[in-house]
Amino acid sequence: MASPTRPREERAARAAALREQQARRERRQRGLIIGVTAGIVVALVAAVTVVLVVTREQRATEQAALEAPVDGVQTFEDLGREHVTGEVDYAQTPPVGGDHNAVWWNCGVYSEPVPDVNAVHSLEHGAVWITYDPSLPQDQVDALVAAAEPYDYTLVSPYAGMESPVTLSAWGTQLAVEDASDERIAPFLAQYVQGEQTPEPGAACTGGLS
Amino acid sequence: MLGLHWGSDGPGGGAAPAAGSVDAGFALDMQAHHRQAVQMSTLVRDRAEDEDVRTLALDIALTQQQQAGQMYGWRELWGLGQGRTEPVMAWMSGLEGHAAGGHGGHVGAVPAEGLGAVGDMPGMASAAQMDALAAADGEDAARIFLQLMIPHHVAGVEMARAAAQEASEPEVRALADAMATGQEAELTVLRDMLAERGGPVPGV
Repeated sequence: MASPTRPREERAARAAALREQQARRERRQRGLIIGVTAGIVVALVAAVTVVLVVTREQRATEQAALEAPVDGVQTFEDLGREHVTGEVDYAQTPPVGGDHNAVWWNCGVYSEPVPDVNAVHSLEHGAVWITYDPSLPQDQVDALVAAAEPYDYTLVSPYAGMESPVTLSAWGTQLAVEDASDERIAPFLAQYVQGEQTPEPGAACTGGLS
Repeated sequence: MLGLHWGSDGPGGGAAPAAGSVDAGFALDMQAHHRQAVQMSTLVRDRAEDEDVRTLALDIALTQQQQAGQMYGWRELWGLGQGRTEPVMAWMSGLEGHAAGGHGGHVGAVPAEGLGAVGDMPGMASAAQMDALAAADGEDAARIFLQLMIPHHVAGVEMARAAAQEASEPEVRALADAMATGQEAELTVLRDMLAERGGPVPGV
């Protein structure tokens, strides 16, 4: 039994002890909350940073892939640039340049063949001409159209008599591919649509024939 | 770290804008947007007789063709060329609220992965609408031109405002600001002309 000599003082001491215990507990709880919160914040910042860095690295890799030299591209020199009427006998199938009609062919997607003498003028203006064999399966044709969709300087049209099922042509430049899933199609477009090969930079691909 | 450019050195001595920047994305996508305005203007020049509409169309065509040339030149100087390594409009994802002064604007939310086609850009006339303009003549052509150019300008103003606020290069911000102001003023002219010619004026 507690000593009755100074009951008030004892109660006061016990109360003080309890308060002290309570205060210590609250400090511990506060410390715990602060610690856990800080830990969560650090973890979140770390996670976001990792995601951002990884995303930027991925984007940089994707960008580098689009800008890396494309395997298998052929180039051609000494192409005429005169405006002529009538047909022209071109050395390549499809042609990549040479004398051509005074009017270009409007960029876009066509289900019928486009005249060589007009398409070549479009190449002079910086267009990339995607040609596919008329027997190419529709899903591959759709894939070619999708590849061209982000651009307004491409022609997509069927072309009979090519040596490969799909060909991409820019002025003086050609890439033959076996199918529409070829990974070189996107980089070819990124490098040659209005690319350095363009004899007439700034020229339009609308306002002509279609 | 988050503000670093990953591009080559630009003409000013600082790092040139990277392909994924607001500057580079605006310069590429706005060229395409401008090109359609030029196309619409040349179509109506050949089809309408209304001298006021024809003159406005010539004004728009010459201005926007030259501005497209400026943007083309920037991309060449930045070592980016005109090829696409970023999705259409990806540069504007998340900026729309700023551009419209926080009121949401008409451009709507651009998803982070951008848009699939140049033709999907805000305010662009569809292929069917361009065909309708090409097939029309006289007063019909004038009216269709005005009806198509109004939403085209509204979107152009928002794109330009976003670039004016968020681009890093002062030249880009300056030209974008001039585009926004100029097209805003032209919108008044376009709407008045269309109302005088029987409308209807698009509600954008």
